[in-house]
Amino acid sequence: MIVSVEEGTILLLAALGEVYAERSGILNLGVEGMMAVGALMAITTYLFTANYIIAILMAAICGFALSMVHAVVSIHLKSNQIVSGLAITILGLGLSGFLGRQILFKGFSIAGTPVQAMKSVAIPLLSSIPIVGPAFFNQNALVYFSYVLVAVLWFVLFRTRLGLNIRTVGENPAMADSLGVNVYAVRYLCTGIGGLLAGLSGALITLGYYPTWTEGMTLGRGWIAIGLVILATWSPFRALLGAYLFGAVTALPYTFQSLAIQGIPTDFLQMLPYALTLVVLTAISFRGLRKRLAPPASLGVPYSREE
Amino acid sequence: MKLTLKNVRLVRRTEITRQTSVLISVMGVVMAFAVAGVLFLLLGVNPIAAYGAMVDSFTNPILLANSIQRGTPLLFAALGLIVVFRLNFWNVGAEGQIVMGGIAATGIVTLHLVSGAIPDLLVLPSMFLAAFLLGALYALLPALLKAKLQVNEILSTLMLNYIAILFGNYLVFGPWLDPAAHGFPNSRIFPPEAVIPSIPFIGGSSGFIVGIVVSVVVYFIMNRTTFGFELRVTGDSSKASKYAGMSYTRIVSIAMIISGGLAGLGGLVLVSGIIGRMKEDFSSGYGYTAIIVAWLAGLNPLVAVVAAFLFGGLLVSGTTLQVRLGLSSSTTNIFEALILVFVLASEFLKKYRVIVGGVE
Repeated sequence: MIVSVEEGTILLLAALGEVYAERSGILNLGVEGMMAVGALMAITTYLFTANYIIAILMAAICGFALSMVHAVVSIHLKSNQIVSGLAITILGLGLSGFLGRQILFKGFSIAGTPVQAMKSVAIPLLSSIPIVGPAFFNQNALVYFSYVLVAVLWFVLFRTRLGLNIRTVGENPAMADSLGVNVYAVRYLCTGIGGLLAGLSGALITLGYYPTWTEGMTLGRGWIAIGLVILATWSPFRALLGAYLFGAVTALPYTFQSLAIQGIPTDFLQMLPYALTLVVLTAISFRGLRKRLAPPASLGVPYSREE
Repeated sequence: MKLTLKNVRLVRRTEITRQTSVLISVMGVVMAFAVAGVLFLLLGVNPIAAYGAMVDSFTNPILLANSIQRGTPLLFAALGLIVVFRLNFWNVGAEGQIVMGGIAATGIVTLHLVSGAIPDLLVLPSMFLAAFLLGALYALLPALLKAKLQVNEILSTLMLNYIAILFGNYLVFGPWLDPAAHGFPNSRIFPPEAVIPSIPFIGGSSGFIVGIVVSVVVYFIMNRTTFGFELRVTGDSSKASKYAGMSYTRIVSIAMIISGGLAGLGGLVLVSGIIGRMKEDFSSGYGYTAIIVAWLAGLNPLVAVVAAFLFGGLLVSGTTLQVRLGLSSSTTNIFEALILVFVLASEFLKKYRVIVGGVE
C-alpha cells in the first residue's frame, strides 16, 4: 500500500501536467524524456548543493525547458505533435544517459552515487489511522504537495476563467480566438505546466524513493502517465484515483510475494490498467458519454488563424 | 539594423524549388550535428572521435553488416506506417505490432521444435505468414474502433503496445521459457531452418533485400492503384472521400492490415534475423524509431529504405560510442532527436519565408 502511494504519486505529478497540456490541445508524448531529465538533474543538483528545494526546482526547470522545445515546434512551427513528442522523449533519455555518465561529482560519475532520500514526515493523528494512515500521511513533502496540487489544478480548470479558456482552446481554438483568448499563450502555458510537473515527478523518483541514479530508471513511467490521463478522462481529481490504482499495479512485482496470488501471472495483472484504459477510451466514445468525457476535440491539431 | 520581433516577418511561400527544399533539409541535419558537436565539446568529449564512430557504421564492413541488420525491422515497420500515415491515421502502435509479429514467429518455431509438425522447408514461410497475420490482426482492432466509434487511434494504439509487450514477457517467462536457459527469460534458440539467411559477401539480414522489394510494392500500391488513390483522397479530406462514396471503414481497415502486417514482419526479422530467439521486451523501441524513419522519409516508401539504413547505422554507432569512448549508448539518441527537431523546423522553413527588416 505504501509503495502504491509512492509509485502513484510519481505517476500523478506527471499525469496532472499532461492533463493540462492535453486540455489545451497539445499532446506531449515527451513525458518520459522530461521525467528522465528531471530525475537526473534533481540528483545532480542535490549532490552539488545538498539542498532539496534547489534540486527540485532545477528538475522542474529542466522539464520545463524540454517542454518548451515541444511547444515551439508544435505551436509556432505547427509540426506534427507525435513526432515532436517522440523527439522530446528520445532527447530526454539521450541527454540524461549521456550527462549522467559525463558529469563528475568528486571525481565519480553521477551514476551509482547514492544520496540521502527525502525524509517522510508523519502528520499527527491522520498518520495513525490504520493501514491508510501510514500510506497517505507518512510521506515526504512532495507527496503532500501533490494532494494540494490536485485540488488547485481541479479548481483552476473547472471553476475559473483561465480554466474555461484552457478548455475552450482545447475544444475549439478558433472560437476561443474570436472571443479574444490568446490561443498560443494558453497552449504555451499548459505545455509548460506539463514540463514542470514531469520534471517534478522525475525529482520524486530520485530524491524520494530510488536515491541512486541509474540510466533508464524512469522505466516507462512517463508512458504510463499518459495512459493515466486517458483513464482519468482529463480530470485532475480522477487522475488522483487512477494514479494509486496504476501505482498499485506498478508496485506488483515488488509486492508479489507478500500478496501471494496463485495462478495469475503478474504480467496479466500488469496488463489490467492498460486494458482498463482502452475500455474507458472506448466507453467514452459512445454517444451518451462522449459529450462529457471525450478527449479535447482539438487534441494534437495545430492552430493557425489563416485557415 | 536592430533585430526585434517586430521586424521579423513570416511570409507563406507560394512555391519552392527542389534545390531550396533539399538545401534547407541538408542544413537542418548539419545544424543538428553541429549542436551535438558543441555539446560534446562542452562535456570534454572529442566530437571528431564521436563523428568518426558514426561514419564507421557505414564504412567498416562488420559494422556495415550490423547497420543493415538493425535497419531491417525499422524498414518494414516504417513502410507500413507510411501507408496509414498517408491516410492521416496516426498508428503509434508499431511497437506492439512488432512484438505480436515476433510472438507469432516464435510460436511457429516453438511448435516446430516441440512437436516437429512443420517440415523444415516450410518453417520460414509459415513464420512469415503468421507474423504478418498476427501483426495485421492486432492493428485491425484500433482501426475498427476508430471507424465505428471514433476512438482516438493515437491513444488506443499506445495502450495496445503495453499489452503486447506484457503478453510477450508472459510467454518468455512462462510457457515458452527455454528449459536450457537456466531460468533466463528467453525462448528456445531458433534452429538454422528458422533463421533468415545473411546477404552473401556483405552480411546483414537478407530481410533488408525483401524490404527493398516491399518498398517498391508499397510505392506502387500508393501511387498506381485505386486503393492508393482512395488512401490519398481520404487522407487529404475525409469529407471529399465520403461524398465520392468511399468507405472509410474499408480503407482504414486495409491500410492498418498492411501497416500491422509489415510491422509484424519487422518483429519476425528481429527475432529470427537479429536476436535468434525471443527475449523479454525484445523490441525496446524499434516501433517508435520507425515512426521517425517514416516521417523523415517524407512518407515516401523509396526514401524510407535510405532512412531506415541510416537509422540502423545510428543504432550501431551507439554501441561503438559505448565501447570506444565509454559514452552511454543512448548518446546517439541525442543525435536522433536533434536531427528530428531540426528537420521539423526546416519543414516550417519550407512553408514560410522568414524576412528580417524590410518594409512593413
